[in-house]
Amino acid sequence: MKVGNIDMNKSFEPKILAFLCNWCAYAGADLAGVSRLQYPPTIRSIRVMCSGRVDPVYIIDGLKSGFDSVFVSG
Amino acid sequence: MESIEGDAGNFRVTVRERPRYVDMDKCIACGICAERCPRKVKDEYNQGLSKRKAIYVQYAQAVPLKYVIDADHCIYFKKKGRCKACEKYCPADAIDFTQKEKIHKIEVGSVILSTGFKSFDPSGHDVYGYGSLPNVITSMEFERILSASGPFQGQLQRPSDSEPPQKIAWLQCVGSRDLHAGCHEYCSGVCCMYAIKEAVIAKEHAGSDLDTAIFFMDMRTPGKEFDKYYDRARDEAGVRFIRSRVHSIERAGGPGSDDLRIIYVSEDGKLKEEIFNLVVLSTGLEISEDVRKLAQDLGIELDPHGFAKTSSFTPVATSRPGVFVCGAFAGPKDIPQSVMEASAASSACAVLLADSRNTLTQEKTYPPEDPIIYEEPRIGVFVCHCGINIGGVVDVPAVRDYAETLPNVVYVADNMFTCSQDTQGLIRDAVKENRLNRVVVAACTPRTHESLFQETIRDGGLNPYLFEFANIRDQDAWVHQKEPEKATEKAKDLVRMSVVKAALLEPIEPLLLGNRHEALVIGGGAAGMIAALDLADQGFKTFIVEQKEKLGGYAKYVRKTWKGEDGRAFLANLKERVNGHERIEVLLNTKVSHVSGFVGNFTTTVTTGSAEQELEHGVIILAVGAKSLKPDEYLYKQSDLVMRWHELEELFEKEPERLEESEAVAFIQCVGSREPERPYCSKFCCISSLQQAIDFKTLKPDLNVYILYRDIRTYGQREELYRKARELGVIFIRYSLNEKPVVEEARINGKDKLKITVKDHILGIPLELHVDYLDLATAIIARGEEELAKMLKVPLNEDGFFLEAHMKLRPVDFATDGIFMCGMAHYPKPLEESIVQAKAAAARAASVLIKESVEVEPTVSVVDQEKCIGCGLCEVSCPFMAIHLVKVPGQGYRAENISALCKGCGICAAACPQKAIDMKHFRDRQILAMIEAGGGK
Amino acid sequence: MSKDIKGSVMVVGGGIAGMQSALDLANSGFLVHMVEKSAAIGGVMSALDKTFPTNDCAM
Repeated sequence: MKVGNIDMNKSFEPKILAFLCNWCAYAGADLAGVSRLQYPPTIRSIRVMCSGRVDPVYIIDGLKSGFDSVFVSG
Repeated sequence: MESIEGDAGNFRVTVRERPRYVDMDKCIACGICAERCPRKVKDEYNQGLSKRKAIYVQYAQAVPLKYVIDADHCIYFKKKGRCKACEKYCPADAIDFTQKEKIHKIEVGSVILSTGFKSFDPSGHDVYGYGSLPNVITSMEFERILSASGPFQGQLQRPSDSEPPQKIAWLQCVGSRDLHAGCHEYCSGVCCMYAIKEAVIAKEHAGSDLDTAIFFMDMRTPGKEFDKYYDRARDEAGVRFIRSRVHSIERAGGPGSDDLRIIYVSEDGKLKEEIFNLVVLSTGLEISEDVRKLAQDLGIELDPHGFAKTSSFTPVATSRPGVFVCGAFAGPKDIPQSVMEASAASSACAVLLADSRNTLTQEKTYPPEDPIIYEEPRIGVFVCHCGINIGGVVDVPAVRDYAETLPNVVYVADNMFTCSQDTQGLIRDAVKENRLNRVVVAACTPRTHESLFQETIRDGGLNPYLFEFANIRDQDAWVHQKEPEKATEKAKDLVRMSVVKAALLEPIEPLLLGNRHEALVIGGGAAGMIAALDLADQGFKTFIVEQKEKLGGYAKYVRKTWKGEDGRAFLANLKERVNGHERIEVLLNTKVSHVSGFVGNFTTTVTTGSAEQELEHGVIILAVGAKSLKPDEYLYKQSDLVMRWHELEELFEKEPERLEESEAVAFIQCVGSREPERPYCSKFCCISSLQQAIDFKTLKPDLNVYILYRDIRTYGQREELYRKARELGVIFIRYSLNEKPVVEEARINGKDKLKITVKDHILGIPLELHVDYLDLATAIIARGEEELAKMLKVPLNEDGFFLEAHMKLRPVDFATDGIFMCGMAHYPKPLEESIVQAKAAAARAASVLIKESVEVEPTVSVVDQEKCIGCGLCEVSCPFMAIHLVKVPGQGYRAENISALCKGCGICAAACPQKAIDMKHFRDRQILAMIEAGGGK
Repeated sequence: MSKDIKGSVMVVGGGIAGMQSALDLANSGFLVHMVEKSAAIGGVMSALDKTFPTNDCAM
């Protein structure tokens, strides 16, 4: 069965676009690395100087470009 | 170094330069000489576990990266005139056998001795079998075994048969806290932490099946975040900690077995044994004979252990004026403390030589940028292995090859450590040879290393903003360790995203702003006063803002230092110097209410009573201190016989008859520290209680003094206190967190006393102690400076102490430029360490204050006034008041950026309905290109 | 003390402490001469594999 782009028979691994604020979320993601916390390798992050930089257009563009979801953190 | 003549401010130093036999200007470090050299020598850098040649570089990232001939082993020097293979094959004609020793006479104003330590050599101490049992190694050897650049390329294996060990033991206090001949009575202060780290890393290398056990007496992890690391090692990594005394190590099993049997006495006095495949000796730190001799030649006084003699109040000054000391030569210590002392020593020099600043130095210049080079993007991509950190998970060569297929990429390389000095040279050369005009590095994280690579390409003639970082370590290799293929795919995606952004990068001109030369110190305790004095003595006007009605802070409780110096006299003198200094302005009863600005240009509003004033200054030093916990246990506040910290010694000082009438007193350590709620060690409580115990015992030898403790943490040379206390008959009783002592009021022989019940760990039975007084060493806790932290935009750690930019290498800095810290605001610490940190903060602050202008991040907003409709949404949304509407003749209102205030957050750009605002270095088109490249559609 | 104060410092030992002192002094306007007995600076820290607490490489 397919729902939208998603094949429900396969296990769904969403490809995630993350916008990370340089001062907090990006530092947090680095800290996750330092602490060797393991998480799924399907996330692609973009560093911004503030989550306020994330224009709504970026989110739409992310979804249009092939990402399944967009994560803004700051 | 041979000798020093002259006086402080004007020394003549004689230095003997040994010949290298390689011309430094000609050597290109190609390595052909070492390849051809027939003479193999034990590699001391790898602790003798591997071989090098007689011509060699110390290690791959060595600075300078130039070969050197080891004349003690070179065939040419040993058999006059033979061999010369290196000379024959050197393509650069760099070998020069005729070089001679050179004597230099150098004039300097002051000298810093940072000669370091030597690792204790355990050979000759039969207990350990080092030298005769092949699988007994030292901790330094183990460091090299773990290292990707070490003798086994980071493969965990043991020396006897190159097999991976299944069980490894660490033995603590080898050569330290040991009164046997040839050993040292002091604690080396660093071995507990490095042993834990080695055990954790070994498990990281070998997997969780590896069994690791640390045999120890007291676990000494008193530093910042140390106990948390210890807890995690035990509870999460599964490292075993065995409190014991090791009796001996012997070969286990029959012939052919190189396993080892450790025979030890456990805490309850039972003789036990266990077999391990590898034993690591946690060897201590000592001062070498060479350094002792040098000190003697220079007229520097040493303590009985060979460390430079210093006072707690002037911890970086030696006995000879103008000669300073830092690092392990001034006592055993770890890296952050050495780094702080190093900065403190530089501050001491700067105070001494302030009048001659800038007389002998030159400003660094960069090659001019050639605008023509920017026409077509030509990108170079450098992919880092970071030893095994990245290379152990991500297929680095595959990422490199993939990068080569990307548009505009004309050069690719992979490097073992892209951050090393020699790789910076490679990057510069690659830029020049391939006319690169954009550089991408795929490595650790831009947060620590972006500035290094920006500097490198700037040296290569490029604008520093033509650089882009792909984070494939912290956010890839480290977090997907079990999925190497997917981690490699992710690395490729991240490199692709960086490459498309790189192609769209533009050069950005630097933004220079005027710099103020005044300093603001927040907090008037010992740390704040020392920092202010060091700055004022260097010529900088300094404000001290203190909340309370007088200066002094926590230091007023320090009756004497652990070395026995008079703390009160010191503090009185300090206050006098501060109050009398023409360049220091003290504001008492004053609070900071608002801070604005940035490095070089801060404006701080302070409130004294109802009066407000604004201070303008270039830097801020945070020295707000800490306080001690008032506990809700052990009858504190309920019984007059229960006290805290210095209260008991003050009582006995004021009313000596109380001591005279007492039969017994007790101390309970770790009250509120090292508990789930407050999982850190307060660092100097053991020292404080032991000092009091020694004083009481000295004054009244028949007094029973009990110290109820969990680990005695008299780190470094403070171990002397522990020895002295035991000699005087102080009774130490260990308790554990789940069986805390119980304190009750009791009437004994007609006197109000306290009854303490505690389980004795050796006998395993409850003891009942009757004491006249109980003193609690309660936790040192943060003052609760959340508001101040918010005002300054600097972070606090989980425990409420201020969090430095880097635990090891930037221990007094914040990530925010121009703000520094010292003293107990950072972490609980004894007075002498606060003094060191205060001087260090002053040194770091001075390097900002001397500048005529500061360079601020030029990655600010830009407004296209043609598109702007003057709606003002940007102005209302900017948190920094860095963009505003201005009247433009004939057009009405238009937005205008104020670069000096702009932090580059980009909120205005996202808010602008006209897309008239864009951010330098984070332009819409750059981010959109990354999104599209990442999506892959 | 002599009136002619030199604006330079000699740092003896090129380990982590020596390097930090030298950098701070150079950044504060003083000329630094560094003396190191081996063929490269870096000291003991360069030989350490990784360091607490981040387990970053010491290099």
